[in-house]
Amino acid sequence: MSEKFDPADVQGNILRGYRKPRVRYLMLEISDRATARRWLTAATSGTGGVPQITTESGQRWETKPDTCFNIGLTFEGLRALGTSAASLATFPTEFVQGMNKRAIKLGDAGPSAPENWDQPFNAPARLHLIASIYADDVPQLDRVQHDAVGGQQGLKLLDVRDGWCFDGDYVHFNYQDNISQPKFAEIHDRDSYADSQPMAPLGTVLLGYPTNFEGLKWRIPEPEPLGYNGSFNAFRVLEQDVVGFEEYLTAAATELLDHPKVNELLPPGAEANIQVKEGQRLSRRDALREVIAAAMCGRWRNGVPLALSPDTPNPSPDVSRTKFDYTNFDDDGAARCPYGAHIRRCNPRGGQIVQRVANHSRRLVRRGMPYGPAYVHDPAKPRDPNEPKRGLLGNFIGANLGAQFEAMSCDWLNLGLQDPRITGSNDPLLGANEPETSWFDLPLKSGAPIRLRGLPRFVTTRGGAYTFLPSMAAIRYLGSLTD
Amino acid sequence: MARNGTKNKAAGGTSRKGWFGWLGDKLDQLVDWLATTPLFAFIARRILVPYWASRTPVKRLEGGPRPSVQPGDNVQRMMNLVMPLKDKSAVGRALAALAIAQNKDEIYAGLDNVGTVHFARFVIVDDNICMFSVYDGDFSNYIRDFIVTIGSVFDAVVGLVEGGESVIPSAENVEKFIDWVHDHDIYQVSDVATDILRDQEEANGDAGPGNDDLRLLPRKLILQLHVNPNVSLGSGYRAYPGYSAAQVRQQFGVGW
Repeated sequence: MSEKFDPADVQGNILRGYRKPRVRYLMLEISDRATARRWLTAATSGTGGVPQITTESGQRWETKPDTCFNIGLTFEGLRALGTSAASLATFPTEFVQGMNKRAIKLGDAGPSAPENWDQPFNAPARLHLIASIYADDVPQLDRVQHDAVGGQQGLKLLDVRDGWCFDGDYVHFNYQDNISQPKFAEIHDRDSYADSQPMAPLGTVLLGYPTNFEGLKWRIPEPEPLGYNGSFNAFRVLEQDVVGFEEYLTAAATELLDHPKVNELLPPGAEANIQVKEGQRLSRRDALREVIAAAMCGRWRNGVPLALSPDTPNPSPDVSRTKFDYTNFDDDGAARCPYGAHIRRCNPRGGQIVQRVANHSRRLVRRGMPYGPAYVHDPAKPRDPNEPKRGLLGNFIGANLGAQFEAMSCDWLNLGLQDPRITGSNDPLLGANEPETSWFDLPLKSGAPIRLRGLPRFVTTRGGAYTFLPSMAAIRYLGSLTD
Repeated sequence: MARNGTKNKAAGGTSRKGWFGWLGDKLDQLVDWLATTPLFAFIARRILVPYWASRTPVKRLEGGPRPSVQPGDNVQRMMNLVMPLKDKSAVGRALAALAIAQNKDEIYAGLDNVGTVHFARFVIVDDNICMFSVYDGDFSNYIRDFIVTIGSVFDAVVGLVEGGESVIPSAENVEKFIDWVHDHDIYQVSDVATDILRDQEEANGDAGPGNDDLRLLPRKLILQLHVNPNVSLGSGYRAYPGYSAAQVRQQFGVGW
C-alpha cells in the first residue's frame, strides 16, 4: 500500500502536528461559487497571493515553514461549491447530517446543545469552509489571514477563533496534553517515542487504505479524485470551566480527608511523593487533589501515566509517557489506573473491553490548542464573575467519523459501555455529567473502590462542525467544477 | 376514538331537557351506530383514510430507538428488523430458515465477540424475515461490530431480502449496510403520547414546541400507520432493571 501512497497529495495537518504555538481558524461561507473555486485552485499552488495549502512530505522538515495553511469543507460547503448530487450521495450519513444533528450521540445536550452554540456554529447551513492557519506569532497569522480572505475570494468571513500554546504542551485544567497519537509506518516520526500500541494503518485517517478492521474498507466518496486520500474531522470548540474544576478537586479532597479508607488511597506521609513543583511540599489535602486529578485523567498532570506510576508523578527512574498498556492484571499500575479515567475510557489500548473486536479500532488523531489566557489556581481568590473564557479548539481526525469519533463519544466517553464496572457513568473530565447522578470510582488495592459523586460538567461544547479534509487532487477537482 | 368522544358528550347531555335534548341524544346514537356499520367502516378505511393521507402527506418516521442522551437506568435498546424476502414462497422461507440454521455457530461466536447483545431472534412472519434483538448502547456501533465479526452471516440473510444485493458484501459496504439496516428497523411508537406528536413534528421539519392537543393524536397515529404499517408498540417492557449484557455476565461471574 505504501508504494501507492503519495504524501504530497495529503494535507499536512492530518498525519502529524506542526507543533506551532499559534493557530487561527477562519469560519467561511462561500458567497460566490465561481470565485471560490478559483481561490481553491490558487491555494493548491500558492499563486495569485493566496496562501499555499501545506502538504505532507513524509519526511522530517529541513526547515519548518513559518506558517502552515489548511482547509476543511462541510457538507454544505461541498454543496455550495457545486458538487454533483450523485457525488454528494456517496458521503457518509453522519457527515451529510453534520455535527449539529448528531448532537445526542456526542453528548451535546443541555448547555452543550447546538441551539446554545455560538455563532456561526448554530447556523450550520452557512458554515461552508474552515481554514486553519498555524504560525509562530500573531502578525504572521494576520498576514496569512489577509492573504487568504482579505480581498474578493468569493468567501465571507463569519468568525475567527484563535488558539495558542500558553505553556508548551500544557492545556487548561493544567495537564500536559498532546502525548500519545497514532503512529504511521509511512511517517518519519514513527520511531520518535516507544509505544506499546500497534502501528496505525493509514486507513485510520485516510480514505482508500486498509483500516483497523481486517478486511473492512470505508467507502471512498466519488469520484475518486474527490474522495481518495481525504479524511474527516470533528472540529470542536470546547469551553473548560477551569475554576469549577479546581473547586471540585478541593471539595472532593476535603471530603476524602475524612474517608475511612483514605490511608489506602494515600498512605500517611505519601504526600512527600507527590511534588508538583521542585522542592515544594504539598499539604495532605493538596496532595489528595493531585491524586484525584490524576485518577480522573489517567495521567498525573505532568503526563506521567498512572499505569506505570500509580503512586507518584515523579518516578525514579523516569517512565515512558507512551509505552504502556492495561493488559497485565497483576500489574499494580494497570489495575490502579481507574477503568473510568479519561485516557483509558477514550482509548482502552489492548485492555479488556466488552466490545472485543473494537480494541484499537476507534483511535483518532487529535490536534488541539487551548484558547483563552492561562489560569493560575489561587484558592484564596474568590471566583471572578468575569472570568475570561477558556477552552480547547480541538480537531478529532479519522477516516470514519461514525466508527471513530462518534463511536468513542457515545459508548465510551459517555455511557461507559466498554467495561461493566463503569457502565452508566460518563467521562469525569469531558462527560455530559450532572452532579445529581454522576460518579467516578477511585480504585483501591483492597477491592471496593471509593466512589466520588457530584461531578458537574467541566467541559461545555460551544460549537463545532464535521469537515472533510480533501486531498490536493480533490481541491483541484473542486476548483475545476463548472456549473 | 371519535365514537368515545361522542359517547362522552351524550353522557354529559343527560342534563339537556325537552324535545331538542331528546333529538340530540338520538342523533349522537345514530352517529355512533353508523360508525359500526360495515358500509361506513368500509368508507372510513378504504376511502377516507387514503384520501385524507393524500391531502395531508406524512413522512414515514425513522425506525429504531428514540435518541436519548442519558441512559438513565436502562442501557438496553431494541432492534426490530422486518425484511421482505425476495422469494415469497415456501421455498423462499425455507431458504431463509436454512441460512440461519447453517450459521448457528457463527451467530454464537458473533454474540460473544460483540459483547453488547442480550438476545437475538430470527422470525419469519408472512414473507418477511424478521430479526429482533436487544442490545446495549449505540445502534451503528452494534451493527458495525457485527459486520466485523460475522459479516458473512449478515450477507447470507440480507442476500435473500428485497434490495439486499446493493449492500453486500457488508464488509465492503459498511456505511451503506448500516443505513440499510437502520432503514429496516421499524418505528417504535412511544407509549408517551406527546412523543408521537414530537416525532411527527420533527419528521415534518415543524419548528418549535408543537401542539399538545391530544385529540389530534388518533388522526396523527392513523396517518403514520398508513405510511408505516409495521411498528413496534413501545420500546420493550422490562421486568428487571436495564443493565448491560456485560454487567449481567459480570454479576453472575461468567466472564465478560
